[in-house]
Amino acid sequence: MFDPLAASVRVAGSGLQAQSHRVRIVSENLANYDSTGNTPGANPYTRKTISFGAELDRALGATVVRIKRIDFDHTPYPVQRDPSHPAADANGMVKHPNVNMLTELADIREANRSYEANLQVVKQARAMIGMTIDLMRSS
Amino acid sequence: MRPIHLFDITSQHNQWLANRQSLIASNIANANTTGYQAADLKPFEEVLKATKLEMTTTAPGHMLPDPPTSAASADKRAGSTWDIVHSGNSVTLEKELMKAGEVNSAYSLNTSVIKSFERMMLTASRAV
Repeated sequence: MFDPLAASVRVAGSGLQAQSHRVRIVSENLANYDSTGNTPGANPYTRKTISFGAELDRALGATVVRIKRIDFDHTPYPVQRDPSHPAADANGMVKHPNVNMLTELADIREANRSYEANLQVVKQARAMIGMTIDLMRSS
Repeated sequence: MRPIHLFDITSQHNQWLANRQSLIASNIANANTTGYQAADLKPFEEVLKATKLEMTTTAPGHMLPDPPTSAASADKRAGSTWDIVHSGNSVTLEKELMKAGEVNSAYSLNTSVIKSFERMMLTASRAV
């Protein structure tokens, strides 16, 4: 059997990885906040979403987290009238990305909190391993 | 001289705490996973109560029972959740971090107890 404390560090590591991937997706969404198409009537950037799945790591004997899928948000694109834009259609309407800055910022804040919690678990598991090692130290 | 039972109990408690820490790590890692249910171990008192009196092996064919805190007997049960979210996830980060703090202090208490007992025994053996 794997050492449970070492397993906690690995599990928390998988959590850190998942949350940092989430931050990457959010930053992609925010960076493309204004990415419209180039040809008349073209679709703009589509917002990406990320979802996680729990998975039992048999070698570890603990439940880790994995990125289940990265999907596209299917909400309709907001349109704005701008006839001079290269992506304007016959009516002069331009499709803008369906990215909402408030939603993205809330998401990145939540990812930040989860990342902190995972880091805390790593710290505590390492402190516990350290206490056990200290038993062997002659005082 | 009878063997000192205390080391056995503290190391079993430490094993239980380490298993609990690993479950807490799983819960926190899956804090944003859709439909994930938080798991926890049975309280150590229950584990200790369920443990039968230790039987001695008087013949080479006798088998020892499983240790009470092995992964096989670590049955998970869903802890009651503090808040209900739309995704069906029952992990509360604050609660898990509180549990992790409890585990940490209990672990440090156990190691201090082991340390001071060891010091006591060393003093006794030096006095001879």
